Amino acid sequence: MGDYVVFFDVAWHGANAAYFFFIGIAAMLYFVSALSWYREEFRPLRTSAFYLSFAALVVAGLILVGDLSQPIRFINTLNPAYWNWASPLVWGTILISLFGLTSVWYFTTLGRTDTSGRLPAVVGSLLGLGLAIYSGFDLAVHQHRPVWNTPLMPVLFVALSLVSGAAVAAFLARGEAKLVGVLRQIMLWGTTAIAVMLLSLLVTTAYGGSADELTYAFMTAGNMAMIFVGLGIVVGTLAPIALLLAPFGRQPTGLMAAALLLLVGGISLRYSILIGPQMVQTFFS
Amino acid sequence: MGEELRTSSVETRGMAGRKRYAMVVDTRRCIGCMACQVACKAEFDTPLGVNRTWVPYKVVGTYPNVKKQFLPRLCNHCDDPPCVRACPVEATYKVPEGGFVLMRYERCIGCKACIASCPYNARFMLPAHRTYTNITSVVDKCTFCFHRVTQGLVPSCVQTCIGRSRVFGDINDPTSEVSYLVAKNATQVLRPEQGTKPQVFYIGADRNHTEYGRDLYRRPEVMEEDRKSFDQHFGV
Repeated sequence: MGDYVVFFDVAWHGANAAYFFFIGIAAMLYFVSALSWYREEFRPLRTSAFYLSFAALVVAGLILVGDLSQPIRFINTLNPAYWNWASPLVWGTILISLFGLTSVWYFTTLGRTDTSGRLPAVVGSLLGLGLAIYSGFDLAVHQHRPVWNTPLMPVLFVALSLVSGAAVAAFLARGEAKLVGVLRQIMLWGTTAIAVMLLSLLVTTAYGGSADELTYAFMTAGNMAMIFVGLGIVVGTLAPIALLLAPFGRQPTGLMAAALLLLVGGISLRYSILIGPQMVQTFFS
Repeated sequence: MGEELRTSSVETRGMAGRKRYAMVVDTRRCIGCMACQVACKAEFDTPLGVNRTWVPYKVVGTYPNVKKQFLPRLCNHCDDPPCVRACPVEATYKVPEGGFVLMRYERCIGCKACIASCPYNARFMLPAHRTYTNITSVVDKCTFCFHRVTQGLVPSCVQTCIGRSRVFGDINDPTSEVSYLVAKNATQVLRPEQGTKPQVFYIGADRNHTEYGRDLYRRPEVMEEDRKSFDQHFGV
């Protein structure tokens, strides 16, 4: 037995997880910059957060295009005559394009002292929220994939974006007490929300049908367990919550330590949630 | 034949005045000669490592009560195909007349959303270099031999099947052989719970094949070694 076997590969590899990671950071950092027009404590981050947001957007865009097997044909995604409105990828293309254009518009208002930056700040923030939501829908619409095909996915990706972006902003905050306090709150409550969603995902997956049962086994055993449970849940979610609740977590150094763990958790969770549910399908033959 | 329950506008099975091609695979007649796979490879020059159709088998039971169970596989040309929904640029589409799910190679961007959305592993990525054609680095799949069927022929796998395990025809035509077989036999489709309305019907499919991920409960070492080689070759 085993003299002739057909094998299958997963559709989406680690590059997509990296894309989700960077696009989430880009969206949240833009929001942080936008907040500076309404909350004084965010004022020091207005330009630095925006520049990093734009850099993350460029990196995410390059990863996305580079991951296509026909990179030049990314132009096809910009052709409205080709658009399939049923595909979340189309909404993603539109949102990324508009987010990029709004970023350029926002850039032109950054140096001004009047309030002309408020409008692009709000528009860009809403588009950034759309980017995080679409990332979740990108996975959620695949009806045969355990873990992916849940209403939690868009919400989880919004929370991951919020936390990863705030974690990067923590490094830009340079110890400003009030700002550190607000970022700590965002990181703490965002990560708590992620923990609750992960618990919910794990329970529903473990109690699901055969595909769910096998996916649960894949994600909580072997190599993927190290990434999902070890780095994603323990190091990247539970440890930062404990750190942020401790007195040390209220200090700038503690906040940065938690931020570092959250970034590790952010990429690990995205990777394992992307790859894990695809693994069982490769055995369907 | 009664009117089919249609839940989306693209479904054409049971629709009066429309052809809806389907395949019946009688697994009791399949001897595992793989001639269908070879015919398909010859018809389309499908590269090594990927297949438009394939015939997996499982050895079921223990000696002396043992049997090789075959389950010929191909694109199910779903009546409600998730791959068509997933493609951002309509590179994959469903032909209303006949229900073929096809590819526009020149439009495919290679985002692999269709591969991710297919519950049957029926889609694959073509390699970057091919000898006889410049159709490379795009997603490919079984076409139900659209080019042959529109010329009045049957798909090459059906043509070559020596046991007449594979039967092809218009399931909307109540006089066709596929309609007869589906009406007269207990048939199964793969993963019906996904709502894709597959149009490949199996007679006598074994649950060791049809149940999701059943292989994982007993993974022979030799297959694990093969899988590692495959992963290494494709850089997985």
